[in-house]
Amino acid sequence: MATSPTLRLVRDELYGFARSKVMLVLWVILPAIAIVGYLLFKDNAQLNGGLGEDHQLSANTFMSLILSSLSGTIAALMVAVDIVSERQRKVYELYVIRPIRREAIIWAKFIAVFLCVTIACVVSIALGIAVDTVRGDPFNATIAFDALKALSQLTCVVGLSAAVGVLFGVISRTIVVAVLLILYGGQNLTIVPMIPTYFGVLPDQFWVFQLVSVLMIVALTWLAMVIFRRSQF
Amino acid sequence: MTSPLLQLRGVTKSYYGQKVLADVSFEIAPGEVFGYIGPNGAGKSTTLKILAGLITTFDGEVRIAGADVKKERTRAHALIGFMPQSCGFQNWRTVESALDTLGDLSGVPAEVRARRIPALLERFDLLAARTKKVKELSGGMTQKLGLIQALLHEPRLLVLDEPLEGLDPPSRQMLKDVIRERQQAGTTVLFSSHILSDVEHIADRVGILNRGQVATTGSIRDLTSAFGLPTEIDVWFSTAPADTGFLSDPGLGVADQPKPDQWRLVLTAGADADAIIHTIVERTLAGGGRLRKIGVAEPALDDLFARYILESNRGN
Repeated sequence: MATSPTLRLVRDELYGFARSKVMLVLWVILPAIAIVGYLLFKDNAQLNGGLGEDHQLSANTFMSLILSSLSGTIAALMVAVDIVSERQRKVYELYVIRPIRREAIIWAKFIAVFLCVTIACVVSIALGIAVDTVRGDPFNATIAFDALKALSQLTCVVGLSAAVGVLFGVISRTIVVAVLLILYGGQNLTIVPMIPTYFGVLPDQFWVFQLVSVLMIVALTWLAMVIFRRSQF
Repeated sequence: MTSPLLQLRGVTKSYYGQKVLADVSFEIAPGEVFGYIGPNGAGKSTTLKILAGLITTFDGEVRIAGADVKKERTRAHALIGFMPQSCGFQNWRTVESALDTLGDLSGVPAEVRARRIPALLERFDLLAARTKKVKELSGGMTQKLGLIQALLHEPRLLVLDEPLEGLDPPSRQMLKDVIRERQQAGTTVLFSSHILSDVEHIADRVGILNRGQVATTGSIRDLTSAFGLPTEIDVWFSTAPADTGFLSDPGLGVADQPKPDQWRLVLTAGADADAIIHTIVERTLAGGGRLRKIGVAEPALDDLFARYILESNRGN
């Protein structure tokens, strides 16, 4: 049976990313740095602010905090830089001339980056749980629930950032422009789902965050697809 | 009459208010090899990109085997194989992986790809490089890879943008052979080139594009007579005949003597070169002369092209 063009491209993109140095950074170096950072600063009073003297921030929570600030930026930059550089090297011309929908090319990038960064998040949180277990904080249902909740929020952050990256990648002609757009405009877009949390007016912040994120992902990727479909090469 | 495989009608494209293509219209019959020539910036690549679907906003109509490239994009794309002027591949890809993906996206089944990719790589002397990363290939090898990706799905229309650029003489010969093989297999070929001698060898017909307009298309012979370009005959004597006055006979053409032992006759349009050569031989022998060499110089595509561009630009 013939594979769909999007699946074929996702498979290829995943293979390409898996072989790149970015993945080594994401899957190995980033979790390692986060763990080292945790071990170095676990006793820092400011880091543990509000938890009381007898309590320390768990490795699992620390990893989630680090990832929530880094993973989004990484995902957005990864996908945008990839799209712009491949466009500059005229890679897309050989895809666009084939009897496939142009959107498949961008979907593949989005899905591949989303999966790669999400895997990095899973690895890091799992590592955090492992460190907590070794340090005498046994794994239990509460930790599992919190970890899943954190992972779910991280997934939304990564998805939203990848969508921002796709959009800015599609509209930018140079890598510098894409990076600047992401650093200055993208960061603002990714905090939109957190706005209800800041105001604290809604009953369940978690689900509001998830819902707004998903809606924004759909809207941004749709816009990116429309722009890419109309692009002239 | 066979319906054309490719039809362009009134294709017009502007960038920022400036017309790059103005009402371009021509047709190519199935199995024909069509050379598309023109000076830099004439709009050749733009035309080919429109055919390939890389440029989608233009006025006019383009049909490939009846499929409108605007309205039936997928059907038209399945019929066309396109080699851009410069081909880009993802850095991490090997030669084989690049071709496998592009073949898959063109709808070539896996078992066919497994046969066809090695066969094409072998045909282009790239089989040894099949596991190499594309970024490690030389410019010429990348150019060949670009051609292979266009051939993978055995398209009915092969569109090549400057395919001979950057290739060494053996590779150019190989490419010309491949174009002829494809033509024999029934493929229609449209290619642009600056190397006019190569166009002359491969193309059945040419189209000359200048300042965004195709003013003329036809076989090189047709265009030569349409432009009234003269055939020249060079005559070298080892011993000149006693009287060379016959060479100045206006019936033969306009004579000139560039060297003491060489005469050049510029024939009038429609003159029978064979009959004139016969007369020269006969009169030389009758006059006691001996011939060293006679050469006939048919007008080349370069002359045709230069004349067309010159006249066209003078008229504007």
